[in-house]
Amino acid sequence: MLVQAILIGLIAALGKFDFQVGTLYAFRPIVLCPLVGLVLGDLPTALTIGASLELLFMGSISIGAYVPPDETIGGVLACAFAIQLGQSTEAAIALAMPIATLVLAIKNIINAVMPIFVDMADKYAAKGNLKGIYGMHWIIGLVGMVNAFVICSVSFYLGADAVQGVLDWVPAFVLSGFGVAANILPAMGFAMLGRLVITKQLVPYYFLGFLLCSYAGIPVLGVALIAVIIGITKFDLLGGGAHVEPALEGDDDDDF
Amino acid sequence: MTSKETTAVAADPNKITKSDLIKASVNTGALGMEFSWTYYKQMNIAFCLMVAKLLKKIYHDRPEDYAEALHRHSAFFNITVQFAPFVGGIAVAMEEKVARGEMDPESVNDVKAALMGPLSGIGDSIFLSTLRVIAAAVGISLCQAGNAFGPIAFLLIYNIPGFWLRIWGIQKGYELGVGFLEQAQRSGLMQKVMTAVGIVGVMVVGAMCKGMFWASMPIPIGTGESAQTLQDILDGVMPGMLGLISFWIYYYFLSKKVNPMVLILFTMIIGIIGAFFGVLA
Repeated sequence: MLVQAILIGLIAALGKFDFQVGTLYAFRPIVLCPLVGLVLGDLPTALTIGASLELLFMGSISIGAYVPPDETIGGVLACAFAIQLGQSTEAAIALAMPIATLVLAIKNIINAVMPIFVDMADKYAAKGNLKGIYGMHWIIGLVGMVNAFVICSVSFYLGADAVQGVLDWVPAFVLSGFGVAANILPAMGFAMLGRLVITKQLVPYYFLGFLLCSYAGIPVLGVALIAVIIGITKFDLLGGGAHVEPALEGDDDDDF
Repeated sequence: MTSKETTAVAADPNKITKSDLIKASVNTGALGMEFSWTYYKQMNIAFCLMVAKLLKKIYHDRPEDYAEALHRHSAFFNITVQFAPFVGGIAVAMEEKVARGEMDPESVNDVKAALMGPLSGIGDSIFLSTLRVIAAAVGISLCQAGNAFGPIAFLLIYNIPGFWLRIWGIQKGYELGVGFLEQAQRSGLMQKVMTAVGIVGVMVVGAMCKGMFWASMPIPIGTGESAQTLQDILDGVMPGMLGLISFWIYYYFLSKKVNPMVLILFTMIIGIIGAFFGVLA
């Protein structure tokens, strides 16, 4: 149990280390949950949970002013508890969002001290001290990793009974209700993405994408490839066309 | 372009070479853009680390100017991470001019700041709202079929274009230098690419509303052999109709600035009520 708790913590810390190797999006539930499954000895369940949680957090990306709940720690802990306690995907979904939101609050408190290191880096830069800047870079990043490690391993080690108690107490229909909600919530993720990309002139393309998938049964990847062709031909991005482009309406449509 | 001038002094060990640029595009700073991210100055430390070695070459015999340049590049910075090396390339090309006294040092950060907005706009639409979603769609369907290749497929689809862009971008940015900004804006290329990327992003979102939405309404209608569920009827009219409707309901509330957490909470309540009465599954 202790070894497992440490390994769970390391998985979460590994998720945070992803930001040092190019933000590969390896910190997402779809990647980390299967690792949790390997540690706890149930990969098939973990794959299903990873897929469901990835969808749940689909719109949960840091674009604009919205700071999303911490899907790394939320995903790892929810998946670990669900597998450890022999629960279903519904239980993982029910746990993930509350944990992720709670962690966001903890992170916000810790982040309040970070400007100190940023200012120190600034002073090192003014002196031409490159090593000092590297030091600040690693300190800021490692704080995030240690934070994830401690939260996940301690919660997993101490929290299983409490979580079991909560899950026993919650009636079955509430859990299946969370499952239903998890089936609906991807639409909210898409709507959040839609708010960023849809402008008045692009609305018909939304429906084109939907209808190709709905009536023609083309999978999402196929629709994306068709869209690339439409984008290239419409704006003559490969060059060669001599026709005049119609004037594009830009900014004034953006808040559609 | 002016960068051609530098080829004349090929023997100079302090000339910035192609391999210097490529190394910088995948160094600790370039890949760690979000590792030392803070609300305060965001990617400033990582950007400074990305270009530090190149600055060292430019100012190899002028430690004070080098320190000043390091300080210059530890100013606020934020961008879609895959585009950071491109901006780094432009910044380094400008620093060479600064070193020769052909350019005002202040203008380097002005150009960086001017690039952040448009490039993040393009970058976020390409990487976060399109490529990531496609990669997740493929990965999720593999995972749901119990295939452990799902997470790997997700990572490969999302990251291969990103690394290509980093390595190509830093060279292209260095080659174009400061001329890029005017050129792209004058030709309207930026606007065209943004709209083209927008089409892909929007079509993918549309397709996901059908392909990645699983809630259904198994309400029985009719009895005996003609028994159907409401879901069967909805599918007969337009498959995926519920996903379409849910999308626009959420879209409406989000455009009214309703907090996503509130919407999640409401969805959970609706899910529980729906599951209790058996009208949603």
